[in-house]
Amino acid sequence: MRKRQGKAVCEFASFHPLVTALYYLLVIGVSMFSMDPLFLCATCAAAWGYAFFLKGKQNVRKNIIMAGFVLVLMTVVNTLFTHNGETVLFYINRNRVTLEAFLYGLCASVMLISVIMWLESFQILMTSDKLIYLFGKIAPVFGLVISMIFRFIPLLKARYAEIAMGQKCMGRGAQTGFVKRSRQLIKEVSILIAWSLEASIESADSMAARGYGLRGRSSFHLFKLTGRDGAALVFLVAAGSVAVAGAVTGCTAMHFYPRLASGSEDGWKMLAFAAFAALLCMPFIIEMAGDYKWKKSALKN
Amino acid sequence: MEKISVEKLTFTYPLCETPALKEISFQIRQSEFIVLCGKSGCGKSTLLKHLKKNLIPYGKRTGEIYYEGTEIEQLNDRKSASAIGFVQQNPDNQIVTDTVWHELAFGLENLGLPVKVIKRRVAEMTSYFGIQTWFRKKVNQLSGGQKQLLNLASIMAMQPELLILDEPASQLDPIAASDFLETVYRINRELGTTVIISEHRLEEVFPMADRVMVMDQGKILAFDNPGKIGAVLAGDKPGGEHPMFYGLPCVMRMFQHTLRDGEQSPLTIRDGRLKMEALLAACPKEKFPNICKEAFPENKYRRKHALRKGEKTDSAIVLKDLWFRYERDMPDVLRGLSFEVGKGEWYCLLGGNGTGKSTTLKAICGIIKPQRGTALVDGIKVEKGHEKELFNHRLAMVPQDPQALFTEITVEEELYEAMSDMEIQEEEKIKKIEAMLDLMEIRHLRKANPYDLSGGEQQRLAIGKILLLEPTVLLLDEPTKGLDPFFKRTLADILGGLRDQGMTIFMVSHDIEFCASYGDTCAMFFDGELVSEADPADFFAGNNFYTTAANRIVRKWNPKLITCEEVQKWIREIM
Repeated sequence: MRKRQGKAVCEFASFHPLVTALYYLLVIGVSMFSMDPLFLCATCAAAWGYAFFLKGKQNVRKNIIMAGFVLVLMTVVNTLFTHNGETVLFYINRNRVTLEAFLYGLCASVMLISVIMWLESFQILMTSDKLIYLFGKIAPVFGLVISMIFRFIPLLKARYAEIAMGQKCMGRGAQTGFVKRSRQLIKEVSILIAWSLEASIESADSMAARGYGLRGRSSFHLFKLTGRDGAALVFLVAAGSVAVAGAVTGCTAMHFYPRLASGSEDGWKMLAFAAFAALLCMPFIIEMAGDYKWKKSALKN
Repeated sequence: MEKISVEKLTFTYPLCETPALKEISFQIRQSEFIVLCGKSGCGKSTLLKHLKKNLIPYGKRTGEIYYEGTEIEQLNDRKSASAIGFVQQNPDNQIVTDTVWHELAFGLENLGLPVKVIKRRVAEMTSYFGIQTWFRKKVNQLSGGQKQLLNLASIMAMQPELLILDEPASQLDPIAASDFLETVYRINRELGTTVIISEHRLEEVFPMADRVMVMDQGKILAFDNPGKIGAVLAGDKPGGEHPMFYGLPCVMRMFQHTLRDGEQSPLTIRDGRLKMEALLAACPKEKFPNICKEAFPENKYRRKHALRKGEKTDSAIVLKDLWFRYERDMPDVLRGLSFEVGKGEWYCLLGGNGTGKSTTLKAICGIIKPQRGTALVDGIKVEKGHEKELFNHRLAMVPQDPQALFTEITVEEELYEAMSDMEIQEEEKIKKIEAMLDLMEIRHLRKANPYDLSGGEQQRLAIGKILLLEPTVLLLDEPTKGLDPFFKRTLADILGGLRDQGMTIFMVSHDIEFCASYGDTCAMFFDGELVSEADPADFFAGNNFYTTAANRIVRKWNPKLITCEEVQKWIREIM
């Protein structure tokens, strides 16, 4: 495997899964209901910044292409197909092309891009064991099922690779023509299914042998809720409730049609934005604090 | 009190006429180490499964099984889950969760223990097994040996008093297998856990055993100290040996006829060496030197090599200066690998795990593309675009896992499937299938589902299926993995027969004994290239550590003797 650029281990990842889950729930949730340029710019910048911090240059090119595509597509489609709005830019076949429709498309696509970029860092932070823990909190059996899925995906992949190799060794790898190739694919998949079902009998035996199905199953995990996690949770609840309240009361909204108008009055909006901005800054502050502490401790030794 | 007591257990699987277990009775005491051996299909697994409540197979059963005086079926579920641990054959299939720590905790979660208790027990087990370094790893990053150790550890975390292991090391390479079996032995010695283990690698487990149980066709043939088992199976006169005798460790077979009444067989190489010293001390001095100078005995499988030495035959496989790495910034796996395999030669490539043996096979098949160098099969370059020529009646490979080939629901359909791309008459195909069923000795299984076959039978079916492609160059990846010693002999006969008909056989293996006995040429693979290559006698005579058990015992006097049969013959002559 190629060495990952950027931060392989980050400070925010060492927080309790509840913190991570709540953080992303709030940030993505508020972002999804934001159309106001102020909120959008902030969340978009933070999402890109954090993804870049975690992954480095690795995916930047791919992400920029993705973002450009979404931006152009959504903006063009909305501008061409929505004819609402006061400020007419020009006409195409007697259809109005308006500034408002253009701006709406732009804002919606920025919102979508921000959410996608948040998910990018989310999937690095939310490792499978955190996910298992969270689902295990709902019910132990959920946690186990997720854990088994994470176990079986790589196993099936490895098995499939072996099957494909076996078929190749019979000279069946280089089939030409669509019909022959799809028949070969179906054959390989059917081997995979038969083999896996057969293997799962043994897995079931192994589970039964270790007492699966007894009443009162518990759910083991390696996470500790520390004081730091508690503080983070308190902060998230406080800042989060202000930001969510802002979103609910329409601070993050923007009216585009028939003409641009902000969702609410200034004082309350600024407060909501401040709370949201604090949320957005949280991982960066945590990372910087972690870096600083690490350097200090490294100096001492 | 007896830990396990079985009384007149008879068991018949549904739809079967003959019982799988017949009137079996025995007792096992607290903290004993019991080894169970026998041909595959003799009922070992069936017997072991009867000792664990949730695994008892469906079928008709008479007789009783007691665990500490309680009938197994009456055991409390919770008690049965934790008190009796069961390790199966396949390391992968037993693992349920995605991380090592979760797997270790799985059984304890089922028992409903609180997180704190689980943490403590898991910590204890991890430290005892010395697996701290991979505690937080994903299970798919582990090697086969590590996976099996994990299975054992996760069962031991439940603190069982009886540990049942059903061929636990058969899917592991020799070093991992040794490690695993040593750990089981340690558990028995240090914790007093009663162990019942069925295993084909008798060389390793015989010295550990308190008693050995030999099964044949659903019955107990012998149940005694390991040192006395040889005498029971050897029969009264030479030639009268029970077939099971050939499955015994080499040291035991070698000296069997030299033992006086009541004397126990040597079980380890060290004992064998001492025994040999004693025998030679008693041997008349004037007879001794002659024997040492004698050429090593004829072996029918060696014939080809002598032939090859004299005249240079055509090469079936040629690798020239192959360099390969999987990714740009990874180390090279193949480093200038070059060798030739003659037509009609049985070539064995030996070497440790992860040295690149399988990569070599892939290079010959064209599954990977080396960065430098060329591979030729029958003079045809292995590269894209040549697949038609290469695989059409020329090259074929049997993968390590025979299941990777199975698509159909009966054995005969499976064989038919091999020819699905061939343009020949239907009657012709049927004729070929019939012939193959006979060649592989699986005629009686023709209507069976491939997945219901035992490991050895599956291996035969896989080879049969590949042979229907009528290759002239057959590649095998660890063909003896998981096979019992008896089927290994059959396999050797089948492969030997094919080789005599002119087929080239190239196999990659860990199985020193098998390659020594049957290969024409053995080669040692290390660090991406061949470090030595010779016919088995010269090859193993030149090695000190990496050699057969028989050779280790007699190499001081006659380093060219490498198989058990050769040594046996030699001992007979000096006696």
